[in-house]
Amino acid sequence: MVSLEQLKEEVKKILSSGNIKYFIGYESLGSGWQVRPAFMRKPEEVDRLVWTPACFHNLVRFLHDEKRRRAREKNPDTRPVGLLVKGCDSRAINVLVQEKYIERKDVYLIGVSCELMGVIDEVKLKRHLPGLKPQKVLFGQKETIKVITDNDKEIEIEASEILADRCLECPANFPVVADIILGEKIKKNVTSPYQSISPYERMSVEERWSFWQGQFSRCLRCYACRSVCPMCYCDECVADSIAYAVTADTTADEKAQKIKWVERNPEPSENIFYHLVRAIHLAGRCVDCGECERVCPVEIPLRLLNKKLEKEARELFGYEVGFDASQPPLIACFRDNDPQDFIR
Amino acid sequence: MAEEFEPRIVAFLCKWCSSAGADLAGVSRMEYPPNIIPIQVMCSGSVSPLYIFSALSHGADGVLVSGCHPGDCHYIKGNYYARRRLALVKKLLEYIGLEPQRFQMSWVSATEGIKFTQIVKDLVRELQPLGPQNKLRRKF
Amino acid sequence: MEKIIQKSAFPQWLKSLQAFKIFLPKRASYGWELSSNHELQEIPEDYTYPVVPPKKLIFPQEEIFFEFEQNPEDGIKLKEILPEAEQQVIFGVRPCDGRAVKAMDLVFGGTYEDPYYWRRRRQTVLVGLACSQPPSENCFCLSVEGSPSSEEGLDILLTDLGDRYFVKAITEQGKSLLSAASSLFSEPGTRDREAREKIHLEAEKKIKRHLPSARELPERIKAIFDSDFWDEESLNCLRCGICTYLCPTCHCFDINDETKSLAPLKGRRVRTWDTCQFPDFTMHSSGHNPRPDRASRLRQRLSHKFLYFILLFDRFQCVGCGRCVTLCPVGIDIIEVLTRARNHGA
Repeated sequence: MVSLEQLKEEVKKILSSGNIKYFIGYESLGSGWQVRPAFMRKPEEVDRLVWTPACFHNLVRFLHDEKRRRAREKNPDTRPVGLLVKGCDSRAINVLVQEKYIERKDVYLIGVSCELMGVIDEVKLKRHLPGLKPQKVLFGQKETIKVITDNDKEIEIEASEILADRCLECPANFPVVADIILGEKIKKNVTSPYQSISPYERMSVEERWSFWQGQFSRCLRCYACRSVCPMCYCDECVADSIAYAVTADTTADEKAQKIKWVERNPEPSENIFYHLVRAIHLAGRCVDCGECERVCPVEIPLRLLNKKLEKEARELFGYEVGFDASQPPLIACFRDNDPQDFIR
Repeated sequence: MAEEFEPRIVAFLCKWCSSAGADLAGVSRMEYPPNIIPIQVMCSGSVSPLYIFSALSHGADGVLVSGCHPGDCHYIKGNYYARRRLALVKKLLEYIGLEPQRFQMSWVSATEGIKFTQIVKDLVRELQPLGPQNKLRRKF
Repeated sequence: MEKIIQKSAFPQWLKSLQAFKIFLPKRASYGWELSSNHELQEIPEDYTYPVVPPKKLIFPQEEIFFEFEQNPEDGIKLKEILPEAEQQVIFGVRPCDGRAVKAMDLVFGGTYEDPYYWRRRRQTVLVGLACSQPPSENCFCLSVEGSPSSEEGLDILLTDLGDRYFVKAITEQGKSLLSAASSLFSEPGTRDREAREKIHLEAEKKIKRHLPSARELPERIKAIFDSDFWDEESLNCLRCGICTYLCPTCHCFDINDETKSLAPLKGRRVRTWDTCQFPDFTMHSSGHNPRPDRASRLRQRLSHKFLYFILLFDRFQCVGCGRCVTLCPVGIDIIEVLTRARNHGA
């Protein structure tokens, strides 16, 4: 079990040393069981810190804001940013370092092991508590999650029943890169890492189309999926930009010749184009933190797209995402014996 | 009797090999179906997945990307990158439910005019029974 | 006009409204949605409110303005495309969403009426359903001058009395909806009225979240306009579009020309939803952006709802539905932010 007290001590220590700019962790949202990202600058603020099965957010995403902030400032504070990372989050750091978006020295990582559990899925939690409202969600002993309801009842649920799908297929349940790691580094035994996509792989072409078309017809193009993804750091998205990089120096020609790949309106064809482009741009980069799927207001199962490409990267090219920060990006390297049976 | 459906295929051909091979077929007066819209690119490695999605979005019934044989790329390595990247595109398109025949890749060298005509004939034959591509096509 | 209809007679009422496109709440995997599926015949007991508010049916996410086509003889011709003439009835509209439609009416109406909006608006009948309990944990309609039984913006307000609905027809359009099946409706008795009163009052007590003294907010927000309060509050913001797209009163839009071909020039002009939270919402073609950071954009959203709308229309633009609080991926809670704004530097 990860000791929250020890975690708070470590954060207080690094903040007091003045060696980091601020620390990003989790705090309770209101009085309930949910949490949200929290920015702490002074040791006194660290008492807000929590570590529960509701800590699903991938805090690595906030490094984008830090980088943009530094780009705007004349004399930026270049101290590293402190972050709380889980296994998946740490792999995201490796990908960003691999792509030279950040340097390893730009972050101070306090890693937390999920041990044999992970984070919960809110939908699964609700299904397990029909009619009851969870007030607190805590890590229990022996791979159970303890839920305290608002009428003070204590319920123990088998972790495997309410853990997020991605945690059931997790290849790294403790951080692979960190300055310190709390909790036991026991490797979780995952027998079927691609369980969630196999039903779709077994479907016929038409069944798959019918499934995905139904999913994408709901898409509102709110771009929450893209906004929450640690790997979607492009200032100007090639698919559909909501942040054109226009400056006073941009010529009229450049503005006129900008290609519009996707129209803004939520027609099914445009929605699919946007999601396909995002999926292919994440090939070999997505660490399956599951945030894109969690934040979607209409619950499109987005991680199924990315997981498929992760599987293909592993099976076709022997590529594993986020374990080695010195490996080249997936599509910036090749092997002489890459499969070509699909090429005439 | 209804007219036979003629698929429209967008073909991205690399300048140094495949496009030259297609030219050879033309100059040698080899007959092949006129269903392709050839677009010359400098290298198969320069073909972005966006081009393929865009072609399908504009209504292409099929997309072909053709480049130099591995080892013969004018830019040494371009076709190796294409092989990897477009394999992922193919898997992704199949996964969301696009018929696998609609996106194909080939290696055609500058002397393989005959191979090129055969590829086009095969493609047209495979796409005809599938009918028009309505899944990713923009409907406005 | 006040009537009673037995729930068992509800499907027959729906049948009498065949001339309309009928929208009813439908259970979806992610929550509730308003659907025109013909198989829906009732409003389920556990219905809360739709994740995507009814604004989608009056102010759709895609609105085609006109098509343009160029031909060699006449040059460029425009063909105006107005919304289809189709009457629609939306059942299950919560009072907050009804007030939200009224707020949008103010924006798109006035001296210059938006023809696209009003064409749909005038073809829409809103049948509200009073809340017996808050549809969301984060409801705070009472704090923004709404209520679980508010009639504003609605044509009919239904109250669930168990085996029957108390039907209050508020507008002429609402009354005409009852006349199509008048035999199904009976007069309400004293017991019905008492039950309705009780439900409405009890519902108010069940609301858990409050934003006290909301009318003080406009001055307070104005006072801290330049403060770095907003920088701190917006640290978590991802600049996605969830809060605004799912807000029943948010109506900002973008207009784009979708060109089908360049020669001959052919295409159409489309209005789509847009959000002040996207970075280039206020991007000028010169490259200058008056709201370049999340702080100014968060300040804008809260000011629009709690200051500018008060100045323009003397009402809050926020109706207290709580969707933005529930759905924000990073836990930005406007009730908390505004409470802190009111206390900041006070």
